[in-house]
Amino acid sequence: MSYKDLSKKEKTQVLKQLREEHADTVKRTQALLKEQNAIRKKIRGALGEESRTVTQVANIVDMPTHEVMWHISAMRKYDLVAEDGMEDFVDVLYKLVEEK
Amino acid sequence: MDINKIKADALVVGGGIAGMQSALDLADQGYQVVLVEKDPSIGGKMIQLSKVFPTLDCCSCITTPKMSAVANHANIQTLTYCEVQSIDNADGHFVAQILKKPRYVDEDDCTGCRQCEYVCPIDVPSVFDLNMTARRAIRVPFSTAVPQLAVLDIENCILCGKCARACPADAVDFTQTAYEIELEVDAIVLATGFETTPIDAKKEYGAGNLHNVIDGLMMERLLAPTGPYARVLRPGDGKEPESIAYVQCAGSRDETLGVEYCSRVCCMYAIKQAMLIAGALPMADITLYYMDIRAFGKGYDQFYQNAQAMGIEFVKGKVAKITEDENQNPVVRVELIDEGQVVERTHDMIVLSVGMVPQYNPGSVYSVGVGEYGFIKSPAPNISSTETNRSGIFATGAATAPMDIVDSIASASAAASGAAAHLEAVQGGN
Repeated sequence: MSYKDLSKKEKTQVLKQLREEHADTVKRTQALLKEQNAIRKKIRGALGEESRTVTQVANIVDMPTHEVMWHISAMRKYDLVAEDGMEDFVDVLYKLVEEK
Repeated sequence: MDINKIKADALVVGGGIAGMQSALDLADQGYQVVLVEKDPSIGGKMIQLSKVFPTLDCCSCITTPKMSAVANHANIQTLTYCEVQSIDNADGHFVAQILKKPRYVDEDDCTGCRQCEYVCPIDVPSVFDLNMTARRAIRVPFSTAVPQLAVLDIENCILCGKCARACPADAVDFTQTAYEIELEVDAIVLATGFETTPIDAKKEYGAGNLHNVIDGLMMERLLAPTGPYARVLRPGDGKEPESIAYVQCAGSRDETLGVEYCSRVCCMYAIKQAMLIAGALPMADITLYYMDIRAFGKGYDQFYQNAQAMGIEFVKGKVAKITEDENQNPVVRVELIDEGQVVERTHDMIVLSVGMVPQYNPGSVYSVGVGEYGFIKSPAPNISSTETNRSGIFATGAATAPMDIVDSIASASAAASGAAAHLEAVQGGN
Protein backbone atom coordinates (compact mmCIF):
# COMPACT_ATOMS: atom_id res chain seq x y z
CA MET A 1 0.00 0.00 0.00
CA SER A 2 1.45 3.39 -0.94
CA TYR A 3 1.59 6.43 1.32
CA LYS A 4 -1.35 8.20 -0.33
CA ASP A 5 -3.66 5.29 0.47
CA LEU A 6 -2.91 5.44 4.18
CA SER A 7 -5.10 7.14 6.76
CA LYS A 8 -3.85 10.31 8.45
CA LYS A 9 -2.99 8.29 11.54
CA GLU A 10 -1.08 5.71 9.51
CA LYS A 11 0.84 8.45 7.67
CA THR A 12 1.90 9.92 11.00
CA GLN A 13 3.02 6.46 12.08
CA VAL A 14 5.08 5.95 8.89
CA LEU A 15 6.84 9.31 9.36
CA LYS A 16 7.45 8.55 13.03
CA GLN A 17 8.99 5.20 12.14
CA LEU A 18 11.18 6.78 9.44
CA ARG A 19 12.33 9.43 11.91
CA GLU A 20 13.39 6.66 14.29
CA GLU A 21 15.23 4.79 11.52
CA HIS A 22 16.99 7.99 10.41
CA ALA A 23 17.42 9.50 13.87
CA ASP A 24 20.99 10.72 13.26
CA THR A 25 20.04 12.33 9.93
CA VAL A 26 17.02 14.05 11.43
CA LYS A 27 19.08 15.37 14.33
CA ARG A 28 21.77 16.69 11.96
CA THR A 29 19.32 18.27 9.54
CA GLN A 30 17.28 19.83 12.36
CA ALA A 31 20.46 21.49 13.62
CA LEU A 32 21.22 22.64 10.05
CA LEU A 33 17.71 24.03 9.70
CA LYS A 34 17.97 25.91 12.99
CA GLU A 35 21.28 27.45 11.93
CA GLN A 36 19.94 28.25 8.45
CA ASN A 37 16.81 29.90 9.81
CA ALA A 38 18.88 32.12 12.11
CA ILE A 39 21.10 33.22 9.20
CA ARG A 40 18.15 33.83 6.90
CA LYS A 41 16.44 35.91 9.58
CA LYS A 42 19.53 38.13 9.82
CA ILE A 43 19.81 38.43 6.04
CA ARG A 44 16.11 39.26 5.72
CA GLY A 45 16.62 41.88 8.43
CA ALA A 46 19.52 43.42 6.52
CA LEU A 47 17.56 43.49 3.28
CA GLY A 48 14.35 44.63 4.93
CA GLU A 49 15.48 48.24 5.21
CA GLU A 50 16.78 48.77 1.68
CA SER A 51 18.37 46.99 -1.26
CA ARG A 52 21.94 45.98 -0.50
CA THR A 53 24.95 44.27 -2.04
CA VAL A 54 26.38 41.00 -0.73
CA THR A 55 29.28 42.88 0.88
CA GLN A 56 26.91 45.30 2.62
CA VAL A 57 24.77 42.44 3.93
CA ALA A 58 27.88 40.56 5.07
CA ASN A 59 29.03 43.61 7.04
CA ILE A 60 25.64 43.95 8.73
CA VAL A 61 25.20 40.30 9.64
CA ASP A 62 28.92 39.80 10.37
CA MET A 63 29.43 36.82 8.13
CA PRO A 64 31.96 36.02 5.38
CA THR A 65 30.86 37.39 2.00
CA HIS A 66 31.01 33.96 0.27
CA GLU A 67 28.58 32.51 2.81
CA VAL A 68 26.18 35.44 2.37
CA MET A 69 26.47 35.02 -1.41
CA TRP A 70 25.47 31.36 -1.09
CA HIS A 71 22.44 32.16 1.05
CA ILE A 72 21.32 35.03 -1.18
CA SER A 73 21.65 32.89 -4.32
CA ALA A 74 19.58 30.19 -2.61
CA MET A 75 16.94 32.75 -1.58
CA ARG A 76 16.94 34.16 -5.10
CA LYS A 77 16.45 30.68 -6.57
CA TYR A 78 13.32 30.17 -4.49
CA ASP A 79 11.93 33.68 -5.14
CA LEU A 80 12.58 35.08 -1.67
CA VAL A 81 15.07 37.65 -2.93
CA ALA A 82 15.36 39.47 -6.25
CA GLU A 83 17.94 41.62 -7.99
CA ASP A 84 17.37 45.37 -7.75
CA GLY A 85 19.93 46.96 -10.06
CA MET A 86 23.65 47.51 -9.64
CA GLU A 87 25.82 49.66 -7.44
CA ASP A 88 28.96 51.20 -9.01
CA PHE A 89 28.39 48.99 -12.07
CA VAL A 90 29.98 45.93 -10.40
CA ASP A 91 27.90 45.07 -7.36
CA VAL A 92 24.44 43.53 -7.70
CA LEU A 93 21.84 44.93 -5.30
CA TYR A 94 19.35 42.52 -3.80
CA LYS A 95 15.95 43.17 -2.29
CA LEU A 96 13.43 41.06 -0.44
CA VAL A 97 10.50 39.74 -2.42
CA GLU A 98 7.21 40.43 -0.73
CA GLU A 99 5.44 37.22 0.26
CA LYS A 100 2.28 36.53 -1.71
CA MET B 1 13.47 -6.78 -1.07
CA ASP B 2 11.24 -7.17 -4.15
CA ILE B 3 12.87 -8.32 -7.41
CA ASN B 4 11.51 -7.36 -10.81
CA LYS B 5 12.73 -9.22 -13.89
CA ILE B 6 13.28 -7.64 -17.31
CA LYS B 7 14.62 -9.10 -20.56
CA ALA B 8 16.11 -6.89 -23.25
CA ASP B 9 18.75 -7.00 -25.96
CA ALA B 10 21.18 -4.45 -24.61
CA LEU B 11 22.01 -2.60 -21.42
CA VAL B 12 23.49 0.88 -21.69
CA VAL B 13 25.08 2.11 -18.47
CA GLY B 14 25.15 5.90 -18.18
CA GLY B 15 22.67 8.49 -19.38
CA GLY B 16 25.07 11.16 -20.58
CA ILE B 17 25.46 12.16 -24.19
CA ALA B 18 27.43 9.00 -25.11
CA GLY B 19 25.02 6.62 -23.37
CA MET B 20 21.98 8.33 -24.87
CA GLN B 21 23.48 8.18 -28.38
CA SER B 22 24.34 4.46 -28.04
CA ALA B 23 20.87 3.70 -26.72
CA LEU B 24 19.19 5.62 -29.55
CA ASP B 25 21.35 3.99 -32.24
CA LEU B 26 20.59 0.49 -30.93
CA ALA B 27 16.90 1.24 -30.44
CA ASP B 28 16.59 2.68 -33.94
CA GLN B 29 17.85 -0.67 -35.24
CA GLY B 30 15.00 -2.41 -33.46
CA TYR B 31 16.86 -3.66 -30.42
CA GLN B 32 15.24 -3.45 -27.00
CA VAL B 33 17.47 -1.29 -24.80
CA VAL B 34 17.51 -0.63 -21.08
CA LEU B 35 19.39 2.53 -20.13
CA VAL B 36 20.49 2.72 -16.50
CA GLU B 37 21.42 6.06 -14.95
CA LYS B 38 22.64 6.49 -11.36
CA ASP B 39 21.29 10.05 -11.04
CA PRO B 40 17.59 11.00 -10.89
CA SER B 41 17.75 12.43 -14.44
CA ILE B 42 19.53 11.56 -17.64
CA GLY B 43 21.61 14.25 -19.37
CA GLY B 44 25.01 13.72 -17.80
CA LYS B 45 27.63 16.48 -17.75
CA MET B 46 26.50 17.95 -21.08
CA ILE B 47 23.22 19.27 -19.70
CA GLN B 48 25.24 21.38 -17.22
CA LEU B 49 27.18 23.13 -19.98
CA SER B 50 26.37 26.50 -21.56
CA LYS B 51 27.37 26.19 -25.21
CA VAL B 52 29.47 23.84 -27.33
CA PHE B 53 32.64 24.64 -29.25
CA PRO B 54 33.35 25.56 -32.00
CA THR B 55 29.81 26.36 -33.16
CA LEU B 56 28.62 28.00 -29.92
CA ASP B 57 25.33 26.13 -30.18
CA CYS B 58 23.29 26.02 -26.99
CA CYS B 59 24.03 22.79 -25.10
CA SER B 60 20.53 22.46 -23.73
CA CYS B 61 19.14 22.79 -27.26
CA ILE B 62 21.18 19.76 -28.33
CA THR B 63 20.89 17.66 -25.19
CA THR B 64 17.24 18.15 -24.26
CA PRO B 65 15.82 16.73 -27.53
CA LYS B 66 18.11 13.71 -27.14
CA MET B 67 16.90 13.23 -23.56
CA SER B 68 13.33 13.47 -24.74
CA ALA B 69 13.98 11.06 -27.63
CA VAL B 70 15.43 8.51 -25.20
CA ALA B 71 12.53 8.89 -22.78
CA ASN B 72 9.91 8.51 -25.50
CA HIS B 73 11.54 5.83 -27.68
CA ALA B 74 9.38 2.72 -27.84
CA ASN B 75 12.46 0.47 -27.68
CA ILE B 76 14.16 2.16 -24.73
CA GLN B 77 13.33 1.65 -21.10
CA THR B 78 15.05 4.25 -18.93
CA LEU B 79 15.85 3.35 -15.35
CA THR B 80 16.96 6.47 -13.48
CA TYR B 81 18.24 6.57 -9.92
CA CYS B 82 19.49 3.01 -10.38
CA GLU B 83 22.85 1.37 -9.99
CA VAL B 84 24.18 -1.85 -11.50
CA GLN B 85 25.35 -3.98 -8.59
CA SER B 86 26.69 -7.04 -10.40
CA ILE B 87 26.91 -8.74 -13.77
CA ASP B 88 26.87 -12.53 -14.15
CA ASN B 89 26.92 -14.84 -17.13
CA ALA B 90 24.02 -17.28 -17.39
CA ASP B 91 23.24 -19.49 -20.42
CA GLY B 92 25.24 -17.19 -22.69
CA HIS B 93 23.44 -14.05 -21.48
CA PHE B 94 24.48 -11.28 -19.13
CA VAL B 95 22.37 -11.06 -16.00
CA ALA B 96 22.58 -7.67 -14.29
CA GLN B 97 21.39 -7.02 -10.75
CA ILE B 98 20.23 -3.41 -10.61
CA LEU B 99 19.37 -1.51 -7.45
CA LYS B 100 16.49 0.93 -7.81
CA LYS B 101 16.93 3.57 -5.13
CA PRO B 102 13.78 5.03 -3.59
CA ARG B 103 12.76 8.49 -4.83
CA TYR B 104 10.09 8.70 -2.14
CA VAL B 105 7.92 10.05 -4.95
CA ASP B 106 5.51 8.01 -7.03
CA GLU B 107 6.83 8.13 -10.59
CA ASP B 108 3.36 7.65 -12.06
CA ASP B 109 1.71 10.40 -10.02
CA CYS B 110 4.35 13.16 -9.84
CA THR B 111 3.80 15.96 -12.36
CA GLY B 112 7.07 17.79 -11.66
CA CYS B 113 5.20 20.91 -10.47
CA ARG B 114 7.87 21.59 -7.79
CA GLN B 115 5.33 22.61 -5.14
CA CYS B 116 7.02 20.13 -2.78
CA GLU B 117 10.36 21.84 -3.46
CA TYR B 118 9.04 25.28 -2.66
CA VAL B 119 7.69 24.29 0.77
CA CYS B 120 10.70 22.18 1.77
CA PRO B 121 12.57 24.05 4.52
CA ILE B 122 16.01 22.46 3.99
CA ASP B 123 18.62 24.02 1.70
CA VAL B 124 21.74 22.01 0.95
CA PRO B 125 24.52 22.67 -1.57
CA SER B 126 23.45 21.94 -5.14
CA VAL B 127 25.87 19.52 -6.76
CA PHE B 128 24.34 20.33 -10.17
CA ASP B 129 25.49 23.93 -9.68
CA LEU B 130 28.84 22.88 -8.23
CA ASN B 131 27.74 23.97 -4.73
CA MET B 132 27.46 27.63 -5.77
CA THR B 133 23.82 27.71 -4.74
CA ALA B 134 21.36 25.53 -2.88
CA ARG B 135 18.82 22.89 -3.65
CA ARG B 136 16.05 21.59 -1.45
CA ALA B 137 15.97 18.16 0.22
CA ILE B 138 13.11 17.33 -2.15
CA ARG B 139 13.48 18.77 -5.63
CA VAL B 140 13.18 18.28 -9.35
CA PRO B 141 16.88 17.83 -10.24
CA PHE B 142 16.95 20.69 -12.79
CA SER B 143 14.52 22.53 -15.01
CA THR B 144 14.86 20.24 -18.05
CA ALA B 145 15.29 17.01 -16.10
CA VAL B 146 14.11 13.82 -17.76
CA PRO B 147 12.09 12.36 -16.21
CA GLN B 148 10.58 15.56 -14.82
CA LEU B 149 10.02 14.04 -11.40
CA ALA B 150 10.88 15.09 -7.88
CA VAL B 151 13.31 13.12 -5.76
CA LEU B 152 13.66 13.25 -2.00
CA ASP B 153 17.13 13.12 -0.48
CA ILE B 154 16.42 11.21 2.71
CA GLU B 155 19.94 11.93 4.00
CA ASN B 156 19.13 15.65 4.21
CA CYS B 157 15.46 15.46 5.21
CA ILE B 158 13.94 16.31 8.59
CA LEU B 159 10.88 14.23 7.68
CA CYS B 160 8.50 17.05 8.49
CA GLY B 161 5.98 15.90 5.86
CA LYS B 162 5.41 19.41 4.45
CA CYS B 163 6.15 18.16 0.92
CA ALA B 164 3.51 15.44 1.16
CA ARG B 165 0.91 17.92 2.36
CA ALA B 166 1.77 20.40 -0.41
CA CYS B 167 1.73 17.86 -3.24
CA PRO B 168 -1.48 18.29 -5.29
CA ALA B 169 -1.01 14.84 -6.81
CA ASP B 170 -0.44 12.96 -3.55
CA ALA B 171 2.77 11.69 -5.09
CA VAL B 172 5.14 11.86 -2.12
CA ASP B 173 5.52 8.33 -0.82
CA PHE B 174 7.42 7.78 2.43
CA THR B 175 6.76 4.04 2.24
CA GLN B 176 9.08 3.50 -0.72
CA THR B 177 12.12 1.30 -0.26
CA ALA B 178 14.94 0.20 -2.54
CA TYR B 179 14.30 -2.83 -4.71
CA GLU B 180 16.24 -4.99 -7.12
CA ILE B 181 15.71 -5.42 -10.82
CA GLU B 182 17.14 -8.46 -12.57
CA LEU B 183 17.94 -7.67 -16.17
CA GLU B 184 18.90 -10.24 -18.82
CA VAL B 185 20.68 -8.89 -21.91
CA ASP B 186 23.09 -10.02 -24.61
CA ALA B 187 25.21 -6.88 -24.90
CA ILE B 188 26.35 -4.09 -22.61
CA VAL B 189 27.59 -0.61 -23.46
CA LEU B 190 29.46 1.21 -20.70
CA ALA B 191 29.13 4.99 -20.95
CA THR B 192 30.04 5.91 -17.41
CA GLY B 193 31.65 9.23 -18.26
CA PHE B 194 34.17 11.37 -16.44
CA GLU B 195 34.78 13.64 -13.51
CA THR B 196 36.89 16.76 -13.55
CA THR B 197 40.10 16.84 -11.56
CA PRO B 198 39.23 18.25 -8.13
CA ILE B 199 39.53 22.00 -7.68
CA ASP B 200 41.22 21.47 -4.31
CA ALA B 201 43.87 19.13 -5.68
CA LYS B 202 46.67 21.68 -5.97
CA LYS B 203 47.77 23.55 -2.88
CA GLU B 204 49.74 25.93 -5.14
CA TYR B 205 46.39 27.05 -6.58
CA GLY B 206 44.77 27.63 -3.22
CA ALA B 207 43.55 24.08 -2.56
CA GLY B 208 39.94 25.12 -3.11
CA ASN B 209 40.08 27.75 -0.35
CA LEU B 210 40.12 30.82 -2.59
CA HIS B 211 36.49 31.67 -3.26
CA ASN B 212 37.13 33.58 -6.49
CA VAL B 213 39.19 30.76 -7.98
CA ILE B 214 36.73 28.45 -9.70
CA ASP B 215 37.01 25.62 -12.22
CA GLY B 216 35.84 25.30 -15.82
CA LEU B 217 32.64 23.46 -14.97
CA MET B 218 31.68 26.14 -12.45
CA MET B 219 32.17 28.78 -15.14
CA GLU B 220 29.94 26.70 -17.45
CA ARG B 221 27.19 26.97 -14.85
CA LEU B 222 27.78 30.72 -14.42
CA LEU B 223 27.46 31.18 -18.19
CA ALA B 224 24.40 28.96 -18.53
CA PRO B 225 21.01 30.74 -18.60
CA THR B 226 19.87 28.44 -15.78
CA GLY B 227 23.01 29.10 -13.73
CA PRO B 228 23.15 29.81 -10.00
CA TYR B 229 23.30 33.61 -10.29
CA ALA B 230 21.79 33.99 -13.79
CA ARG B 231 24.91 36.01 -14.67
CA VAL B 232 28.68 35.84 -14.21
CA LEU B 233 29.48 36.93 -10.66
CA ARG B 234 32.24 36.15 -8.21
CA PRO B 235 31.14 33.41 -5.77
CA GLY B 236 33.31 35.08 -3.13
CA ASP B 237 31.34 38.30 -2.86
CA GLY B 238 28.84 38.61 -5.72
CA LYS B 239 30.76 41.30 -7.59
CA GLU B 240 30.85 41.33 -11.36
CA PRO B 241 34.44 40.53 -12.41
CA GLU B 242 36.26 43.00 -14.63
CA SER B 243 39.36 40.89 -15.11
CA ILE B 244 39.15 37.11 -15.56
CA ALA B 245 42.09 34.80 -16.16
CA TYR B 246 42.25 31.15 -17.19
CA VAL B 247 44.99 28.89 -15.94
CA GLN B 248 45.51 26.11 -18.47
CA CYS B 249 46.68 22.60 -17.63
CA ALA B 250 45.46 23.12 -14.05
CA GLY B 251 44.52 19.46 -13.73
CA SER B 252 46.23 17.76 -16.65
CA ARG B 253 49.81 17.16 -17.79
CA ASP B 254 50.71 17.19 -14.13
CA GLU B 255 52.72 14.37 -12.59
CA THR B 256 52.02 15.63 -9.07
CA LEU B 257 48.31 14.92 -9.59
CA GLY B 258 48.90 11.58 -11.31
CA VAL B 259 47.26 13.06 -14.40
CA GLU B 260 50.15 13.08 -16.82
CA TYR B 261 48.03 13.08 -19.96
CA CYS B 262 46.46 15.97 -21.88
CA SER B 263 42.68 16.08 -21.30
CA ARG B 264 42.13 17.33 -24.87
CA VAL B 265 39.14 19.56 -24.11
CA CYS B 266 40.53 22.20 -21.73
CA CYS B 267 42.10 24.53 -24.33
CA MET B 268 38.93 24.59 -26.36
CA TYR B 269 36.47 24.98 -23.49
CA ALA B 270 38.60 27.78 -22.05
CA ILE B 271 38.64 29.59 -25.41
CA LYS B 272 34.89 29.04 -25.78
CA GLN B 273 34.18 30.37 -22.29
CA ALA B 274 36.48 33.35 -22.88
CA MET B 275 34.46 34.22 -25.99
CA LEU B 276 31.17 33.82 -24.11
CA ILE B 277 32.43 36.02 -21.26
CA ALA B 278 33.48 38.63 -23.81
CA GLY B 279 29.83 38.65 -24.90
CA ALA B 280 28.37 38.62 -21.37
CA LEU B 281 30.82 41.15 -19.89
CA PRO B 282 32.03 43.28 -22.81
CA MET B 283 34.21 45.51 -20.61
CA ALA B 284 36.04 42.61 -18.96
CA ASP B 285 39.70 41.82 -19.65
CA ILE B 286 40.18 38.13 -20.34
CA THR B 287 43.56 36.41 -20.20
CA LEU B 288 44.60 32.81 -20.83
CA TYR B 289 47.86 31.56 -19.30
CA TYR B 290 48.88 28.53 -21.33
CA MET B 291 51.79 26.24 -22.07
CA ASP B 292 50.60 25.49 -25.61
CA ILE B 293 47.20 25.66 -27.25
CA ARG B 294 45.93 22.35 -28.59
CA ALA B 295 43.22 23.21 -31.11
CA PHE B 296 43.19 19.88 -32.93
CA GLY B 297 39.66 19.43 -34.30
CA LYS B 298 37.77 20.59 -37.34
CA GLY B 299 37.30 24.36 -37.13
CA TYR B 300 39.08 24.53 -33.78
CA ASP B 301 42.12 26.53 -34.90
CA GLN B 302 39.88 29.07 -36.62
CA PHE B 303 37.95 29.31 -33.36
CA TYR B 304 41.21 30.05 -31.52
CA GLN B 305 42.10 32.73 -34.06
CA ASN B 306 38.64 34.28 -33.67
CA ALA B 307 39.21 34.50 -29.91
CA GLN B 308 42.53 36.28 -30.48
CA ALA B 309 40.83 38.68 -32.88
CA MET B 310 38.21 39.43 -30.20
CA GLY B 311 40.95 40.80 -27.96
CA ILE B 312 41.35 37.87 -25.57
CA GLU B 313 44.92 37.94 -24.30
CA PHE B 314 46.89 34.70 -24.67
CA VAL B 315 49.96 34.66 -22.44
CA LYS B 316 52.47 31.85 -22.85
CA GLY B 317 53.41 31.01 -19.31
CA LYS B 318 52.98 28.49 -16.54
CA VAL B 319 51.23 29.70 -13.42
CA ALA B 320 53.25 28.61 -10.41
CA LYS B 321 51.07 29.90 -7.62
CA ILE B 322 47.77 31.62 -6.89
CA THR B 323 47.23 33.65 -3.73
CA GLU B 324 44.68 36.29 -2.83
CA ASP B 325 44.90 39.95 -1.80
CA GLU B 326 42.91 41.67 0.95
CA ASN B 327 39.94 42.20 -1.42
CA GLN B 328 39.72 38.50 -2.28
CA ASN B 329 41.27 39.19 -5.69
CA PRO B 330 43.34 36.24 -6.90
CA VAL B 331 47.00 37.01 -7.61
CA VAL B 332 48.86 34.75 -10.05
CA ARG B 333 52.60 34.27 -10.02
CA VAL B 334 53.50 33.30 -13.54
CA GLU B 335 56.63 32.73 -15.55
CA LEU B 336 56.26 34.57 -18.86
CA ILE B 337 58.07 32.26 -21.22
CA ASP B 338 58.51 34.68 -24.13
CA GLU B 339 59.81 37.48 -21.86
CA GLY B 340 61.80 35.16 -19.61
CA GLN B 341 60.59 36.78 -16.40
CA VAL B 342 58.43 35.94 -13.42
CA VAL B 343 55.62 38.39 -12.65
CA GLU B 344 52.63 38.69 -10.34
CA ARG B 345 49.32 39.80 -11.77
CA THR B 346 46.05 40.46 -9.98
CA HIS B 347 42.69 39.47 -11.46
CA ASP B 348 39.13 39.56 -10.16
CA MET B 349 38.52 35.91 -10.86
CA ILE B 350 40.54 32.87 -11.93
CA VAL B 351 39.21 29.86 -13.79
CA LEU B 352 41.24 26.68 -13.48
CA SER B 353 41.05 24.64 -16.66
CA VAL B 354 40.78 21.33 -14.88
CA GLY B 355 41.14 18.05 -16.72
CA MET B 356 39.20 14.82 -17.05
CA VAL B 357 39.51 11.69 -14.93
CA PRO B 358 37.33 8.57 -15.05
CA GLN B 359 34.16 8.80 -12.99
CA TYR B 360 33.83 5.14 -12.21
CA ASN B 361 36.03 2.08 -11.92
CA PRO B 362 34.17 -0.71 -13.72
CA GLY B 363 36.61 -3.42 -12.66
CA SER B 364 34.72 -5.13 -9.86
CA VAL B 365 31.25 -5.14 -11.44
CA TYR B 366 32.01 -5.63 -15.14
CA SER B 367 35.48 -7.25 -15.01
CA VAL B 368 36.72 -5.14 -17.91
CA GLY B 369 40.29 -3.98 -18.13
CA VAL B 370 41.31 -0.45 -17.35
CA GLY B 371 44.46 1.37 -18.40
CA GLU B 372 47.11 3.13 -16.36
CA TYR B 373 44.91 6.14 -15.60
CA GLY B 374 41.70 4.22 -14.93
CA PHE B 375 39.94 4.69 -18.26
CA ILE B 376 38.38 1.54 -19.75
CA LYS B 377 40.94 -0.10 -22.00
CA SER B 378 40.39 -1.61 -25.41
CA PRO B 379 42.57 -4.60 -26.34
CA ALA B 380 42.82 -3.11 -29.88
CA PRO B 381 42.59 0.67 -29.39
CA ASN B 382 43.70 1.55 -32.93
CA ILE B 383 41.19 -0.61 -34.80
CA SER B 384 38.34 -1.14 -32.36
CA SER B 385 38.43 1.49 -29.65
CA THR B 386 35.03 0.62 -28.13
CA GLU B 387 35.71 -3.07 -27.51
CA THR B 388 36.70 -4.30 -24.06
CA ASN B 389 38.45 -7.48 -23.02
CA ARG B 390 35.01 -9.09 -22.43
CA SER B 391 33.07 -10.21 -25.47
CA GLY B 392 29.70 -8.45 -25.58
CA ILE B 393 30.76 -5.54 -23.35
CA PHE B 394 31.60 -2.30 -25.13
CA ALA B 395 32.75 1.05 -23.77
CA THR B 396 32.30 4.52 -25.11
CA GLY B 397 32.78 8.22 -24.54
CA ALA B 398 34.89 9.72 -21.78
CA ALA B 399 34.79 6.42 -19.88
CA THR B 400 37.46 5.24 -22.36
CA ALA B 401 39.61 8.37 -22.67
CA PRO B 402 39.33 12.15 -22.40
CA MET B 403 37.32 13.36 -25.38
CA ASP B 404 35.03 16.17 -26.41
CA ILE B 405 31.32 15.99 -27.22
CA VAL B 406 31.80 15.48 -30.96
CA ASP B 407 34.15 12.53 -30.39
CA SER B 408 31.93 11.12 -27.62
CA ILE B 409 28.96 10.99 -29.97
CA ALA B 410 31.05 9.34 -32.73
CA SER B 411 32.41 6.86 -30.18
CA ALA B 412 28.87 6.15 -28.94
CA SER B 413 27.69 5.28 -32.42
CA ALA B 414 30.75 3.05 -32.87
CA ALA B 415 29.96 1.24 -29.62
CA ALA B 416 26.34 0.81 -30.70
CA SER B 417 27.52 -0.64 -34.04
CA GLY B 418 29.79 -3.04 -32.20
CA ALA B 419 26.99 -4.06 -29.85
CA ALA B 420 24.56 -4.51 -32.78
CA ALA B 421 27.07 -6.73 -34.62
CA HIS B 422 27.52 -8.77 -31.44
CA LEU B 423 23.75 -9.09 -30.99
CA GLU B 424 23.41 -10.19 -34.62
CA ALA B 425 26.05 -12.85 -34.04
CA VAL B 426 24.67 -14.25 -30.75
CA GLN B 427 20.97 -13.91 -31.53
CA GLY B 428 21.16 -14.90 -35.20
CA GLY B 429 19.23 -11.95 -36.60
CA ASN B 430 17.14 -9.20 -35.10
